[in-house]
Amino acid sequence: MASVSVEAVRKRYGALEVVHGIDIAIPDGEFVVLVGPSGCGKSTLLRMIAGLEEISGGVVRIGERVVNEVPSKDRDIAMVFQNYALYPHMTVRENMGFSLKLRKADRGTIGERVKRASEILGLDTLLDRYPKQLSGGQRQRVAMGRAIVRNPQVFLFDEPLSNLDAKLRVQMRTEIKALHQQLKTTSIYVTHDQIEAMTMADRIVVMHDGIVEQIGTPLELYDRPANLFVAGFIGSPAINLIRGTLRRDAARSWVSTDAGIDLPLNGNIIGQDGQAVVYGIRPEHLSPSDSDGLPVTVGVVEPTGASTFVYADLSGAQICGVFSERHGFNPGGKMHLMPQLDRVHLFDSATGRRLSA
Amino acid sequence: MSLRKILIEARLMLLGVVIFIWTLIPIYHLFVMSITPRVETFAGALWPSRPTLENYETVVKQGHYYLEHFWQQLWNSAFVAVMVCVITLVIASTATFAISRLRVRGGRLVSNMALATYLIPPAFLAIPMYKVMGVYGLLNTQWSLILTMVTFASPYAIWVLKQYADKLPYELDEAARIDGASPLQIFRLIYLPLMAPSLVAIGTYALLLAWNEYLYAFLLLSADKDITLAVALGHFLTTDDAPFNVLMATGAVYALPPAAIYYVFRRYMVSGLTAGAVKS
Repeated sequence: MASVSVEAVRKRYGALEVVHGIDIAIPDGEFVVLVGPSGCGKSTLLRMIAGLEEISGGVVRIGERVVNEVPSKDRDIAMVFQNYALYPHMTVRENMGFSLKLRKADRGTIGERVKRASEILGLDTLLDRYPKQLSGGQRQRVAMGRAIVRNPQVFLFDEPLSNLDAKLRVQMRTEIKALHQQLKTTSIYVTHDQIEAMTMADRIVVMHDGIVEQIGTPLELYDRPANLFVAGFIGSPAINLIRGTLRRDAARSWVSTDAGIDLPLNGNIIGQDGQAVVYGIRPEHLSPSDSDGLPVTVGVVEPTGASTFVYADLSGAQICGVFSERHGFNPGGKMHLMPQLDRVHLFDSATGRRLSA
Repeated sequence: MSLRKILIEARLMLLGVVIFIWTLIPIYHLFVMSITPRVETFAGALWPSRPTLENYETVVKQGHYYLEHFWQQLWNSAFVAVMVCVITLVIASTATFAISRLRVRGGRLVSNMALATYLIPPAFLAIPMYKVMGVYGLLNTQWSLILTMVTFASPYAIWVLKQYADKLPYELDEAARIDGASPLQIFRLIYLPLMAPSLVAIGTYALLLAWNEYLYAFLLLSADKDITLAVALGHFLTTDDAPFNVLMATGAVYALPPAAIYYVFRRYMVSGLTAGAVKS
């Protein structure tokens, strides 16, 4: 096991720079998730750590060692690929033992390590099968087994669950997390799915357009998104974002929308009277009220059993609310939604930066 | 089944029958003549009145002026074909590994140029090739024929293998690199096993190309003991009263190995070994 440190790392393809100087310090044993929309550079960053892409600038360290010029095979890492990348002409046993065989480990050691890994992953009855005889979830497990057998310093996961169906994905997510709690190997996990990031990570790195938007624990990102992008990316259903103008007087602050509706704020904000801002409130931080709050017209109501999603219209802006109590919502009906004031996020409209304390 | 479908089916069937007969008639002709006694050679019968294996006996026992070196020439054909097959496979597999897997700079250009070589018919190159082999001092050696046939087989082999190599998921190479494999180990342990079906197909192509070659074999080899059986068959026709039934018997023997090779390797002609490697 080892720490991983990424310092001012850049990636250029000719004149085009796709990763613009990234700094991440990952302590030994941490499970870090790189998350962001496609094209944000997260996979490229992972592949640079893996040694599959050249590093155009900056330094990558695994443990104390700078690995910029170290070939993949000598970095002591293991990687799980999105499409499994199992060797089709080898059995599960051979797939899992391949790296040890290349390292000239003796047969006894290989057999023992493969056996132990296959027991951890529940693959012991499948060792003599070929990849094409396995289901998607089993293949994914073999791919992880191949990584575990190595007992590497670092696990790298490149969207390992995106080829699985929804139910299996949830199951494997838990398995990977349990595996990490058991093995405690430093792990870097790339995904575009923020739910995966939230549920699995010790810390999340949100990336966008080749830069890091924010690094933090899942709840830090959820509770205090540093900017509009992170606010919009983390959380499902997505945060409600309403454009308006910040108004302050001696007694209080509020946001006035273009349609002339006043949105309530508590005092803890930075910003000038008249500043263009974006008012953010998560769907789960709205509650129905009789007369206070935002006047909306109910549109679509989606009960899921555990909670009810309500999509409503606030003078042209679409607002979503999630309620765990079963209120009687009528499509087309008028009602008020009251934001929890300590849960309101305020952002500068031009820079996207957070304005609430 | 609707009438329309039956009609379409019937038309296809009819076409198939025509092509089948068209293909089989020469082979039937060859076979019938090879079991016809000499006196009846041109009787024109669909089946000889007294079928005989005496022509085959003549061939096997080298019992004719034209067949004095039959076994030697058969061996020559086999040697040339196998060498061409092996060398072409080595060249094509290493070249496509470099182009498609190691992604060597300029690789695409090489594979495109390989195809461009077919813009010139091989026969046009007969004289230059003869000259080149003369300069190398290889005339009248089987290596001249082997090298020539490798020259003609390799570009196509590279082109076809590259198509298959490009279909192997690149993540397999990356996974192997992370697992600790060197390029040579990837070539040996990942690339060759997965390319096996296409290698068999390409190997068969090169083998048969060399086995069937007449023009260059005729041009580059002259001693009776060096020539391939294809050239020896041609020698039958140098006199007016060619012994056609012996010629046909020799031809039948000559056609057996390719037929056998096709039969043995027919399952490799379909690929599918890569199933299950990655989710497609």
